[in-house]
Amino acid sequence: MTIFSVNTKGSRTLLDPCPATFLPALRGRAFWIGLGLAGLLLSRDPLQAAPSPIQSDFVDDTVLATLPDTPPVPEQLPTTSTDLADRVQNLIGKARSTGDPRYLGYAERLFQRWPESPLNDRLLVLRATLSQSLHRFEQAREDLTVVLERSRNRQHRIQARLTLANLETVRGRYAEADHQCRQLALEYPGLIAESCSAQVAARTGDPEAAYRALVTLLANGETERSTARLWAEGTLGDIAAQLGRDVAENHWRNVLSASPSDLYTRVLLADWHLQKRHYQEVLAITEGHEQVDSLAVIRVIAMLRSNHPEQDVLTRQLRERFNEARWRGALLHQRDYARFLLDVESRPEQALEHARNNWQSQREPLDTRLLLRAAQAAGNRDTLALLRQWLEQHGQTDARYPEAAS
Amino acid sequence: MIALRLWTPWLLILTSLTQSSLALAHKASDSFIYLDSDAGELRIDVALRDLALLVPLDQNQDRQITGREVRSQRPAITRTVENGLELSAESGVCRLQGLDWGLSRHSDGRYAAARYRIVCPDGDDPEQLQYSLLFDRDSLHRGLVRITSDSGSTLAVLSPDRNTLPLTSGSSRPLETFTAFLVEGVVHLLIGLDHILFLLVLVLPVSLMAQDTGNDSMTSRMVRLAGIVTAFTVAHSITLALAALKLVTLPIAWVETIIALSIAVAAVNVVWPVLGRKTWKLAFAFGLIHGFGFASVLGNLTSGMSDLAVALAGFNLGVELGQLGLLVLGFPVLCLFSRWRLYQRAIVPFMLLAVVGTSLVWAAERAASI
Repeated sequence: MTIFSVNTKGSRTLLDPCPATFLPALRGRAFWIGLGLAGLLLSRDPLQAAPSPIQSDFVDDTVLATLPDTPPVPEQLPTTSTDLADRVQNLIGKARSTGDPRYLGYAERLFQRWPESPLNDRLLVLRATLSQSLHRFEQAREDLTVVLERSRNRQHRIQARLTLANLETVRGRYAEADHQCRQLALEYPGLIAESCSAQVAARTGDPEAAYRALVTLLANGETERSTARLWAEGTLGDIAAQLGRDVAENHWRNVLSASPSDLYTRVLLADWHLQKRHYQEVLAITEGHEQVDSLAVIRVIAMLRSNHPEQDVLTRQLRERFNEARWRGALLHQRDYARFLLDVESRPEQALEHARNNWQSQREPLDTRLLLRAAQAAGNRDTLALLRQWLEQHGQTDARYPEAAS
Repeated sequence: MIALRLWTPWLLILTSLTQSSLALAHKASDSFIYLDSDAGELRIDVALRDLALLVPLDQNQDRQITGREVRSQRPAITRTVENGLELSAESGVCRLQGLDWGLSRHSDGRYAAARYRIVCPDGDDPEQLQYSLLFDRDSLHRGLVRITSDSGSTLAVLSPDRNTLPLTSGSSRPLETFTAFLVEGVVHLLIGLDHILFLLVLVLPVSLMAQDTGNDSMTSRMVRLAGIVTAFTVAHSITLALAALKLVTLPIAWVETIIALSIAVAAVNVVWPVLGRKTWKLAFAFGLIHGFGFASVLGNLTSGMSDLAVALAGFNLGVELGQLGLLVLGFPVLCLFSRWRLYQRAIVPFMLLAVVGTSLVWAAERAASI
């Protein structure tokens, strides 16, 4: 009977004396356990859901949509390159103050339809700004390099230099950014160039000194134009937040009171309050900005954490918006989606995937913190190690991400 | 100084912009196109905000679009939308016959929506969809398409660079799909070492039931083998289908870890039948989880495919063919070996140990990535 024995204490029979039934009856418990498990995890793809029904009996007096303040773009192409540049600059400004990518699409279409090539310096700078907004960093860098190589116009050179310095900072290429800031200081010394260098110094290990130096410069630079002062205030806010100081809020409030449509600063301030658990402040700062994904995601997290009665409505809206963005594919802003997945949907694995993609293109403190948090939530030690190594390599520390400590 | 004053305002815009541009997003401009290929119907939803670029919707210039304004512009709206959309068959351009018109809602507000019956010349099915609405104004506008038929639905995106979508039709396609996936199924089974090892530990005991069963040993072995293989097949077919049709989704890292553990458990069970001696039950239980493993491969291959059911059938049959092929070749060899004492006493235990070791290493590796 024994076929083989591994167990020294006695041989075991391997085989059932009677052969197995030919077609096993499906009453094994394993089947029902398996099927039950499967049923529990039942999930349907939201993109397959039926669209909302067509409603034909709408009322005449209802307001169905509100158009933006600007009149729609005229269909005709501008006649001169100055007109084109003015129009593109206006559209980029609109995109910035509303967060609406349509304006970037209109601007890009104008470039595509413009027959004259090569573009002049101003148009090249504008096209680079547009490319950067659309995350086409290489194209942006190319256009800016051309301007810096050939342009004799100081204004365009400065604009190109500053745009390039910012691009490199956002990408986390601090050596290149530092070089551009130094070049900027040669061509246009002042608060903006100093802010540029302070930002890079702060992200590469020296936030304390950078903050102190810039505060002094700002206090002494009464004569500087308000543009430059605001620029410095924004930078100080960021460095103060990095140092974990409450004065960050004052700096950002100064920027916002002068320029309420500065959505970038608004996001930083809302995020700051969210991290401090000041949920009422978060709701006040984000109110009326639900169309801007970054602010809407911060708002919904504050709502969830403070058990706000309208949390479900905004969660549903965002879920639908992200589903549509997923269907669309390309322009999806991964940072906001990753944050939504992590803090609202509690899906750390997927959040990690998007946070990682986002970090490949931009490495601002909020991007780095998001990836750290997602990697920690998903228990992904490799990503954590990689990030910590990157932070260490640049000497970057930030009070906003305690997760960086191993 | 004059120069400074002149250029600073535009510096203001762009400096803030260089920062802000990266942080923000907003719903982009999308139209939604739903094509029901069984009913031969199409629905298109265009945002009122976008339509206002093409049709003078806001007649009193108050920046608000009312129900009255939309209704009064209905002819212009339908004309514009229909001009941006073209369905064609081999026999020529198809006509859109209006069925329903009104408003609908998406995540960013109200859309003008219309449903049409697609009427192609000679009663043909449409073969391609071309969309060009708004592309001339907004390079970031997209047409989001969903094609539904009885075999499932597919999503597509139309952009200025790719504004034409071939619509799956004709009879040769399903056969091609079926064959392609049949091959994929065979290949996956043969290169997927974990399924092979699992199968090996399941059939090993059967190959060893040689001496004691006398004359009818071969028949009873075959009966037993068929029982095990059928149980495994039925089980992984069920979960493969559930997963492929997106009724159930499991995290793949977990699935792979459990698959690796299942091999170790099955191997141990050969020696110490902790889970019972009815191997077919074991085959069935673990077959359920192996199905999810197959599905992850299938999922990578079929994303965006319309005839998922055909692909699924092909892939499943491919896996079975691979499995049968392996058994037809391998099982007689195992039976032949089983007459050899050294094989029973040393080689089989060694093989089992090796299998347990390998699969535990896999399980540890896969668990680490969870």
